Amino acid sequence: MAEKKKIYLQPTPVRIWHWINAFGIITLTVSGAQIRFPEYITFLGSYKSAIYLHNTAGFVVAISFSLWFFYYMFVSRTMANLYVPKAADLKTGLVRQAKFYFLTYFLGWENPHHPTPENKFNPMQKSVYLGVMFVMMPLVSLSGIFLTNVDPLRELIVMVGGLKLLAGLHFLLACCLIAFIPTHVYLATLGHTPMEHIKTMWSGWEDEETEEAGTQENKDELASRRAA
Amino acid sequence: MKTEWTLKILWGSLLLAGLAFPLVASAMEMEDCLGCHSEIDVVGEALLVDAVKFEHTVHAELGCATCHSSVTDEHPDDGAAVSRADCLDCHQEVGDQYMQTAHAENATCGDCHDPHQAHGLDAVSASDMNEQCSQCHENAAVVEQHSEWLPQASLHIAKLPCITCHTSSEEYKIVLHISQKQEDRALSGYEISKYEDLKVYSGAKEIKGLIDINKDNFISLAELRTFNLNPAYKALHLDGTLFPSEASHDLTTLDNRYDCSFCHASGPGSMQTSFLALPTPDGSFARIDVEEGAVLDALYGTPNFYMTGSTRSASLNIIGFIIICCGFIMPIGHGTLRFLTRKNRKH
Repeated sequence: MAEKKKIYLQPTPVRIWHWINAFGIITLTVSGAQIRFPEYITFLGSYKSAIYLHNTAGFVVAISFSLWFFYYMFVSRTMANLYVPKAADLKTGLVRQAKFYFLTYFLGWENPHHPTPENKFNPMQKSVYLGVMFVMMPLVSLSGIFLTNVDPLRELIVMVGGLKLLAGLHFLLACCLIAFIPTHVYLATLGHTPMEHIKTMWSGWEDEETEEAGTQENKDELASRRAA
Repeated sequence: MKTEWTLKILWGSLLLAGLAFPLVASAMEMEDCLGCHSEIDVVGEALLVDAVKFEHTVHAELGCATCHSSVTDEHPDDGAAVSRADCLDCHQEVGDQYMQTAHAENATCGDCHDPHQAHGLDAVSASDMNEQCSQCHENAAVVEQHSEWLPQASLHIAKLPCITCHTSSEEYKIVLHISQKQEDRALSGYEISKYEDLKVYSGAKEIKGLIDINKDNFISLAELRTFNLNPAYKALHLDGTLFPSEASHDLTTLDNRYDCSFCHASGPGSMQTSFLALPTPDGSFARIDVEEGAVLDALYGTPNFYMTGSTRSASLNIIGFIIICCGFIMPIGHGTLRFLTRKNRKH
């Protein structure tokens, strides 16, 4: 027996951050492409416009990232719970979620993970977001800050291996984040309807189908709580 | 007929003797002149000539008497005023260019160029050249003025010769210098190494051998990498800058310098040719050819010379492209299977 209820999954600060981040990253991608390939890409007019836009968008994304970090870390205090995979996630959760995405989804089975405000991400999301938000975003922002302050930070740049290493790292990390966009957008369409998760990221509310029997994941979570 | 030929030979001999005599005389004269004029105690600071620097200039080859023709064997006892040649006697073309500029109203040739230390464009560093400009144009004011339109103005001003942009020379050359950390500064304290600085590293050997390992007067990419990865040279690093291909004195600022395209949108093709400028004992620089495309090496060719847009590495572009393509595997692969199995999800 399944019944529908609405849950408030994405609080306002997170939604604001998400869309600033999304438009910021798209702006950074386009301007970054012109900065690297100026003889071929001239979407934004002059090279100088592309540089200024890239620097401004980078600054906005870095500030918005800091606010996101501050919110989850000190306001909602759910950072570790949401983003750090637990032992059960790594032992069985990852395989279960991968099995769903790459096999049982095509057979029409239900997603084993049901998001709640305390446990929004499935084990695969947690692992990927951990890398994206705690490794790639800080590194790409930091390398960008270094690249916009080459003269005053010259000695530190030489210490970390040189300007080319830094620019190369910035470029490859940006490529990884750009590669994440189509995957991220595609996976966002895997709800009960293609727009379900996207609407949630706009309104904050998600339709939740709860089943009396509960999912395997929820059972695991209950078992682990009892054991604790 | 025979008399005519004899006269011609006689005139020819006299002409040759006339030409040869001043050369010998001027060589003798220069030694005599420097005997006094290289001693500050004898002539004072105003008339002092740095003999080491002067001897390596093109002007030294002409001899002192070429420009100071009024000097006699009795100088200075004869009390006669010493004549000075007009720079434009020889440098007419650049003089004409310069006289058209606003600079001509404010500075004479001698205000920027010491004829006893003057070198060609190939034998000076960017900072040496900019020293002339900074006599009137204060660095902080220049940075502030350029900041109004130029991104990273302080970096551009610190790294480039002013005349790379304020020139009518369309083309530029990439010149690499060895720089080293100045111990007395906390951050950004890198300056172009002098001859004596590099002698500390090379010891009894030529300083060229620090990079040109096989001493063939050509720097290969492998030699650049070896130099950059050598832990013994940790305090040294290669700085790169752009020099105008031709020296001009009209100080025109071409439009393409304002839209950044001159350097940053010129593509890797323009980054093929570069030179390494090594300091010489007389304070000038000598250029050595560097392997084509060395500044485009992804990491260790010139680890600290990177110009956005132009020095991008082709190999990193390919890796980046593959990474981005990987991002489409899930939407395309999964999406196709999703479409084919859509009936299974109709509950």
